[in-house]
Amino acid sequence: MLPKITVDDNKCNDPLSCRKCLLACPMHALGLGTKVGPKKFQEIPPEQFRVAGVRLERCTVCRDCVRVCPSGAIQVVYDGGAGK
Amino acid sequence: MCVWCEKYADGYQRWYFNPANYARKLYKVRKEEAEATGAEGSPMAAGGMALLTDEFLQAWDRKDYATVDKMKQDIEKLSWAAHFGQVVTLEDTLKVIDLLYPIAIMTCVCRRSMLGLPDEENFTCIGMGPGMYKWERWPNTYRGGVQFLTPEETKDIVTRLNKRGLVQTLFTFGTPYIGGICNCDYPDCAAIRTTLDFGVRTLWKGHHVAQVDRDLCNGCASCVHRCQFKALSFSPSQQKAYIDQFQCFGCGLCVTECPQDAITLVERASLPALADVW
Ligand code: SF4
Ligand code: SF4
Ligand code: SF4
Ligand code: SF4
Repeated sequence: MLPKITVDDNKCNDPLSCRKCLLACPMHALGLGTKVGPKKFQEIPPEQFRVAGVRLERCTVCRDCVRVCPSGAIQVVYDGGAGK
Repeated sequence: MCVWCEKYADGYQRWYFNPANYARKLYKVRKEEAEATGAEGSPMAAGGMALLTDEFLQAWDRKDYATVDKMKQDIEKLSWAAHFGQVVTLEDTLKVIDLLYPIAIMTCVCRRSMLGLPDEENFTCIGMGPGMYKWERWPNTYRGGVQFLTPEETKDIVTRLNKRGLVQTLFTFGTPYIGGICNCDYPDCAAIRTTLDFGVRTLWKGHHVAQVDRDLCNGCASCVHRCQFKALSFSPSQQKAYIDQFQCFGCGLCVTECPQDAITLVERASLPALADVW
């Protein structure tokens, strides 16, 4: 069973300079993408970056990322086993 | 034998010593590659990770190995044609640097997407060949700009990155065109991670294998932290370094850190059972 990680982009506006969750995750299960794709030929403004769970099979549902997020943007939901 | 050498060495000792493999047009396959890898909007767009779709992860998670195997083959086929890497020793990397021009350093897209590493701490990727003259066309890829280097500067930087613990790898951009020297670590390099975690081989092992001389090894363990491939551990019973040679990628990072010179790199081909383990 894979956990579901959702990040509220309205609460997380500048992940490039915050990146607390990325550094806190013991499994490096989170990653940074953009809302607009790779956008070749132009710079991407910082607010277009977003955090997402990219390696869900590695997430232990420890929720360190949730605790460390200053804006309460992350939710980790797990339906399998005891860790709800 | 290394299939890339079989196909592309053209008389040179290894395929990556053949200057012809640095001389092709860089962006020929770019468009197809981007479409094929479904890079749109995916946080996994870096390296081979974009190829690991949700569908793949779901199949992996429910242990549907038939589906995983099928997808794995498709991913590898695509990656080997468009963009894959091979581990190279520092010594071979330094030789490669003398083969080509121009050379430029830029930020690592893998560590940016996994750690949000700021540009100023993230200049570890080396692009090379004629494609570098067009770098301005790819500002997001090369965020922070690129800096053109002389071969001597490049060698210094690569040697320092090796010392820091990063593994040298060569990457194709439209195989067999080699367009980059990457300096990688686990788990933030997409290629190492895809290869180690899922056995989807976007990164090939190198031409060497490390071997510990048990008489010389004094058990100091200073090598153990160097391995990015889960190949090197410490035997409590023997009080010596232990290398799983089937798992060793031949990067040589452990070798340079051993104060006893107890680890040597041997040619993969010299060990019959490893000659085809890539
Ligand atoms: S729950 Fe723990 S393992 Fe999962 S993404 Fe958050 S920090 Fe990482
Ligand atoms: S810790 Fe929260 S606000 Fe900071 S980057 Fe992560 S999700 Fe965004
Ligand atoms: S660094 Fe050298 S001497 Fe020390 S444990 Fe490793 S192989 Fe043995
Ligand atoms: S055992 Fe040494 S040479 Fe082999 S992969 Fe690990 S660090 Fe590299």
